[in-house]
Amino acid sequence: MYMLKFKVIKVAVIAAVITATFSTFGANLPKRIFVTNEKDNSVSVIDGKTNVVIATIAIGNRPRGIGIAPDLSEVYVAISEDNAIAVFDPNTYEVLRKFDGGHDPEAFAVHPNGNIYISNEDDAKATVLNPENGSKVDEIKVGMEPEGVAVSADGTRVIVTSESTNMLHVIAVPEHKIINNILVGARPRAATFNRAGTIAYATSEISGEVKKVDLSSGTITGRMPLADDRAKPKDVLLNVDESKLFVAGGRANCIFVLDAHTLEIQQSIPVGKRVWGLALSRDGSRLYTTDGASHQVSVIDTALSDVIATVPVGKFPWGLVLYE
Amino acid sequence: MVDALIKLRLGVHCGCVLVLVLASSKLSGQEINILYIGNTDVPVYFGARQGLLEANAQGEFMGVVYRLIAITDIGGVSVTPVAIIAAVDAARLEQIIEVYPHVPILNTILKDTKLRENCEDALFHIPPSTAMLEDAERQWRQHAPKSKARANTWHRTFRKYAAAQLNIRFMEQSGFEMDNDAWAGWAAMKLLADTIVRRPDLQGFGLVEELKTNLAFDGQKGMDMSFRETGQLRQPLLLIEQDKIVGEAPVRGVVNSEDLDSLGLAFCAK
Repeated sequence: MYMLKFKVIKVAVIAAVITATFSTFGANLPKRIFVTNEKDNSVSVIDGKTNVVIATIAIGNRPRGIGIAPDLSEVYVAISEDNAIAVFDPNTYEVLRKFDGGHDPEAFAVHPNGNIYISNEDDAKATVLNPENGSKVDEIKVGMEPEGVAVSADGTRVIVTSESTNMLHVIAVPEHKIINNILVGARPRAATFNRAGTIAYATSEISGEVKKVDLSSGTITGRMPLADDRAKPKDVLLNVDESKLFVAGGRANCIFVLDAHTLEIQQSIPVGKRVWGLALSRDGSRLYTTDGASHQVSVIDTALSDVIATVPVGKFPWGLVLYE
Repeated sequence: MVDALIKLRLGVHCGCVLVLVLASSKLSGQEINILYIGNTDVPVYFGARQGLLEANAQGEFMGVVYRLIAITDIGGVSVTPVAIIAAVDAARLEQIIEVYPHVPILNTILKDTKLRENCEDALFHIPPSTAMLEDAERQWRQHAPKSKARANTWHRTFRKYAAAQLNIRFMEQSGFEMDNDAWAGWAAMKLLADTIVRRPDLQGFGLVEELKTNLAFDGQKGMDMSFRETGQLRQPLLLIEQDKIVGEAPVRGVVNSEDLDSLGLAFCAK
């Protein structure tokens, strides 16, 4: 019994040392972080080791959604006022090409097969684009004002949120057929899958809440209103072991940390103003946030649950991706 | 989407009543009948039709079909509506309440504060009351004493909170710009559908109660709206000067900008 207990402690100590080593020396930190600056028409490039902006890319008008190719060869940016997707090289920062992104492109996700799934807010559609040549692979009719797009890890499911129809549309891939429509709170904005693709979480802007959805039955199994009335949550994602959910709190100016199982709010981590975008490093040690109205990116050490750096970027940072 | 437009002519007491039945082309699933009472050549009706299109876009995914039955006066309608959108004067509104005492009625044009003070059980008011408009203007003057801005429900140039998308959709469908009345008609239909789609089993006071307690609707104005016990829809307002949006009420810095009850009468007299 004592031996067992001692062993457990020993393992815990070793684990803590390893975690501390990684978080201190950043062995697995992203090489670069790319941030779209909505009102500066640019992408800021942050060095993942030093948390300093090392380059700024002139990308096009009103850049918002950003995504990276599965092989990390290219980064895609929705340049809303140019009605286009811009493609740049994550190593040289050279803008390689631009292609038609539909009217006012905003949020999209990159599928493991390389295709882009983008919501077309004015047309009540989701469009599948091949970023090699910008050709349209398919179109899926969804609810009004579609916004957030999420792709499951195995690529067999895509969720599109429709803000005015208050719904999550679960789309089967490659059939591109809607297999479930799930009513959630007012103005759903973003969604994420668990790794197994069995559960989805979604934020609703106006009802200021997070919903948990069982995807096999299409039923809502949990709901958590965020404590702050100003919370107009946007991005949502799970930590690496899927025990916690991070929610960008919008005007609540914090990241809510929820128990992924019960949705109980465990913590709120203060960041800058109007936080929307989230990205987690592959090892789970760093969470990056776009604090739009503070014109900065916050870097959170997830072990400490605290901001360890703030990086001034361009005006109104919107979204971000990691190159790692 | 192509609407099925069926014109029926029914001879009833007030002479000629035109009944327009508008529904989605797809007529499967549960049918929900909403009655519109009022003129059909006015912005409020075009707004309600826009709301109907959007309700059916949502209903299509959930197996619910909405029909908007338009009549210019009470009578001659054989279906019992789930709810009524009223664009009539106060006297006619009284008659509607008498004929349909158990059906939620949504007033879309009358602004009289007195109507709100009556606190009718099943009567809802979409446009802001005169008292709300006055409070919004009073707050604004404290912020900008020389401004002559007037409070409004909506504006054709409003862009935030996906208002731009609604303005575009309405213009494309109706051929003219969305105004205060058109917004009220749209909001009435849309908030009914947003509530009914979650609980299609509800009718009568069940639906009245659901509207009062479980509304999930922002009206493309960026705030969680709900009904006061007076039946008034809580909502932010726009301050317009020389045809431009100069501010929003509740006015930040003068009152708590989240406090929608800083506008107008918040409670019924006990």
